[in-house]
Amino acid sequence: MLFWILVAIVTAAVAVVLVLPLMRATAPLSSPHSHDIEVYRDQLEEVTRDQKSGLITSENAELARAEIARRLLAASAADAPTQESGPKRLHSNRLAHLFVLLCLPAVGLCLYLVTGSPGVPAQPLAARLANPGDDINILIARAENHLAVNPDDGKGWDLLAPIYMRSSRVDDAVAAYDHAIRLLGPTPARLGGYAEALIVQSGGLVTADAQEALKKSLALDPNDPRSEFYLALGLKQEGKQQDALAAFRKLAGNSPVDAPWLPLVNQHIAELSAGQAPAGNTMPANPTSEDMAAAAQMDAGDRQAMIRSMVDSLASKLKENPANFEGWMRLIRSHVVLDQRDKARDALQQGLKAFPATGEQGRQLLALGRELQIDAGGEEK
Amino acid sequence: MIIELGHYALVLALATALIQAMLPIVGARRGDRALMELASSAALVCALLVAFSFAVLTFAYVTSDFSVRNVWENSHSLKPLIYKISGVWGNHEGSMLLWLLILVFFSALVAVFGRNLPETLKATVLAVQAWIAAAFALFVLLTSNPFARLIPAPGEGKDLNPVLQDVGLAIHPPLLYLGYVGFSVCFSFAIAALIEGRIDAAWARWVRPWTLAAWTFLTAGIAMGSYWAYYELGWGGWWFWDPVENASFMPWLAGTALLHSALVMEKREALKIWTVLLAIMTFSLSLLGTFLVRSGVLTSVHAFATDPTRGIFILAILVLFIGGAFSLFAFRASRLKSGGLFAPISREGALVLNNLILTTATATVLTGTLYPLVLEALTGDKISVGAPFFNMTFGLLMLPLLFAVPFGPLLAWKRGDLTGVAQRLFVAAAVGILAGAAYYYAMNGGPVLALFGIALGAYLIVGALTDLILRSGIGKVAANVAWKRLSGLPRSAFGTALAHAGLGVTLIGIVAVTAFETETVVEMKPGMMVDAGGYALRFDGMRQGRGPNYTEETGHFTVSRGGVVVTEIWSSKRLYTARRMPTTEAGIRTFGLSQLYVSLGDPMTGGGIVVRIWWKPLILCIWGGALIMMAGGIVSLSDRRLRVGAPARARRAPRIALGAAE
Repeated sequence: MLFWILVAIVTAAVAVVLVLPLMRATAPLSSPHSHDIEVYRDQLEEVTRDQKSGLITSENAELARAEIARRLLAASAADAPTQESGPKRLHSNRLAHLFVLLCLPAVGLCLYLVTGSPGVPAQPLAARLANPGDDINILIARAENHLAVNPDDGKGWDLLAPIYMRSSRVDDAVAAYDHAIRLLGPTPARLGGYAEALIVQSGGLVTADAQEALKKSLALDPNDPRSEFYLALGLKQEGKQQDALAAFRKLAGNSPVDAPWLPLVNQHIAELSAGQAPAGNTMPANPTSEDMAAAAQMDAGDRQAMIRSMVDSLASKLKENPANFEGWMRLIRSHVVLDQRDKARDALQQGLKAFPATGEQGRQLLALGRELQIDAGGEEK
Repeated sequence: MIIELGHYALVLALATALIQAMLPIVGARRGDRALMELASSAALVCALLVAFSFAVLTFAYVTSDFSVRNVWENSHSLKPLIYKISGVWGNHEGSMLLWLLILVFFSALVAVFGRNLPETLKATVLAVQAWIAAAFALFVLLTSNPFARLIPAPGEGKDLNPVLQDVGLAIHPPLLYLGYVGFSVCFSFAIAALIEGRIDAAWARWVRPWTLAAWTFLTAGIAMGSYWAYYELGWGGWWFWDPVENASFMPWLAGTALLHSALVMEKREALKIWTVLLAIMTFSLSLLGTFLVRSGVLTSVHAFATDPTRGIFILAILVLFIGGAFSLFAFRASRLKSGGLFAPISREGALVLNNLILTTATATVLTGTLYPLVLEALTGDKISVGAPFFNMTFGLLMLPLLFAVPFGPLLAWKRGDLTGVAQRLFVAAAVGILAGAAYYYAMNGGPVLALFGIALGAYLIVGALTDLILRSGIGKVAANVAWKRLSGLPRSAFGTALAHAGLGVTLIGIVAVTAFETETVVEMKPGMMVDAGGYALRFDGMRQGRGPNYTEETGHFTVSRGGVVVTEIWSSKRLYTARRMPTTEAGIRTFGLSQLYVSLGDPMTGGGIVVRIWWKPLILCIWGGALIMMAGGIVSLSDRRLRVGAPARARRAPRIALGAAE
């Protein structure tokens, strides 16, 4: 409320300052030539001053005077009193009043309401640090400041890693899990989280690194459902349908009847046993977005939107800076995994623009396209 | 709330600028004084509002308010305070706000100091200023809003580009913008003259100081940018003919021409139409520079972010103002009365020659800058037009100009005596040749062209002083009389001499560095010695360090000459943690006007590191000369006398028998 009062005061003050000159009674307009005459008179005086102080000889002073006097005469001759039109002016001023009084609030408010964020307070960092409340970013920043000074505080990394995941900072999450495992030793929770971060980082693909971590996790706790699920998913993505089916069945058998991830596991089982997975040996299978959602239920929070947003953010990053070969490879894979084949094709074409097919990296992009059965358009020749 | 108030102030400034853009023009047409006086109030209000808005953004940076997207993108809580402040304009949005601030600040100056201007002229000028201000305010608000918010606010910023974390950022852009935008006033005066269809006597009195001020700032800004690039980028170069550099150099060339033609116009009421055209051209080139740098057409450290909508918006502004101005010129220039007459051999004639060469040079640079862009747009071929092109074309154009520079101030107004002047410059030429020869022998050989360059530089300096010596009569009259005359000379005469001598100093620096610099690239291990410029450098080893927001590795070098240790050099490589971006901090030691420049490369296996060592003879002359030129501008600006170019003005006329008698 205070904000709008201040806005009103500022607008009114500006309006008053602008309208004031319109209300004043004004002297008649001086002729433009009168200014010229004034300048020429000043120049004549200047010449006299220069002559007195010896800067200019009297001969030159005379020449200069003659020249200025000629201009002065011409200006005086052209100088005629200008016509005033009193009543007409009063009318136009009323219109001008109206224009000023309407323009300020109309332009000001309309544009501000479109571009501004009224009601959002200023948030100086010092104040936020002093009183963080539930400001997750500040809690992260504090933890980061602490860890920058004490990089060997494994507990700190362990706490921070899942928070990074929740705030979509996957690269940082991978690094934090890595530190935590190095400093505090592996546990199923840390290894699982690490693998999950890697999977999100690669846009949904269960990479070799992730599989390794998951296997380590299962070695520590053979009944960890998250690790089992992702490993099964990895098998499915690699096209090892029978192995994947067996793994999913085992997970379903070990799960409690009311486990929240059970429906999706069952769906995978149904797909695999019905042979619905698309053909192709090394092709990743159907949408993994649902898989990720299932995985999310095993933990907390909804991760599907997150994965899509990760992919989207990768895409927009590449749009800003296309000179990122790894990024293009990852984006194309991710789109295929999310079953967005159109987008994958677009990404391939854009990637080829940044890395033409004549170069080594361009050829790798094309090879990936063939592997994933995406048509790169006319550029594949 | 304060952030949003700053945002609203900016919007309100736009509304005020719109009013200022329309009503005063109507008033000037109708002869309605009230409407015209509105222009001054509006200009002041607008300046206050934008200043408040800018202060709010600065406040957001200083307090690390990451709920402002622009602060989050370009700041870091650990950054030193000065870089937090300079970071305000170290990004696209903030720099455009600074552009706008300087523009409305200049409008306010015209409003305050323009009391002696004819009312209609003043109102029209302020209205034209407001057109520009409104266009740029709209651009800032719609495509580059520095007050966009980010909710929830991140806990830490992304930090400023490390290359920009330098005092250079605090100085270079504001100076450059003061220059760029200063020319907007000349532009507005030119447009106002075209709209009014007449040029008042007061017109030239106003345009010259504005041109001079803008030129002085631009000179300083370019020199500062060049020195900054030299010490920060670690390539040891000081000018690359990079399109972004050219973008600032073109307004400077055109502005130099404008400065000289405005001089003729103020003193002699000649070259009026040409001055108007030059004023339009100069500001158009400033706008073009802004477009090239800000639209992302060029990628460089200056193009903070590339966004096509911004490019199109600026292009529209460009087309509107440049196209509009030139059309107006085409339709209305014939209504302007041309001024006085003069003989080809005269001070005016010399200045016309200066103008011709400078505008041709500007066109050359423009071609070299735009040709690759146009070619790429049309055919998709990428070519780069580099130093060889500019050296051949621009360099050759400059030769006759530099040779003619000392002649200008020595020639009389209206009609001059070329042989007489040539005789009086004989001493300067002789000194120049001697200096060239001396330097040649001192350097034990070297390119023969360098001899000529040094000679030309020395000739420029002595030639500039010749004017002062002749005017005061040093050597011809008693010392006390000469001193009295010298101190009685108008300050603008000293300004001219300083600016011309500065040009000579810069030229000497350029020639010396180009011809005699040495570059050594070696892989060094601790204990190794390398010779450069007569000094021996010993590499002592590396040291790890840590700054507020970076880590660094520093190499230590001991410099000795003839076995005696003279000094030491620290050269480092930094890694800025927030952006994971490396920078080089070159180690530079100054010996007189020359410098040793040490830059670290990549470490090699086996403990060695690649080191680049340059010996840069007389390199400080390049920027020193620019500083002298700038000082000339300031001295000349401080001369508030009325300028009357009396035909054959100064007291030398009878004694030296110039063809001054009418």
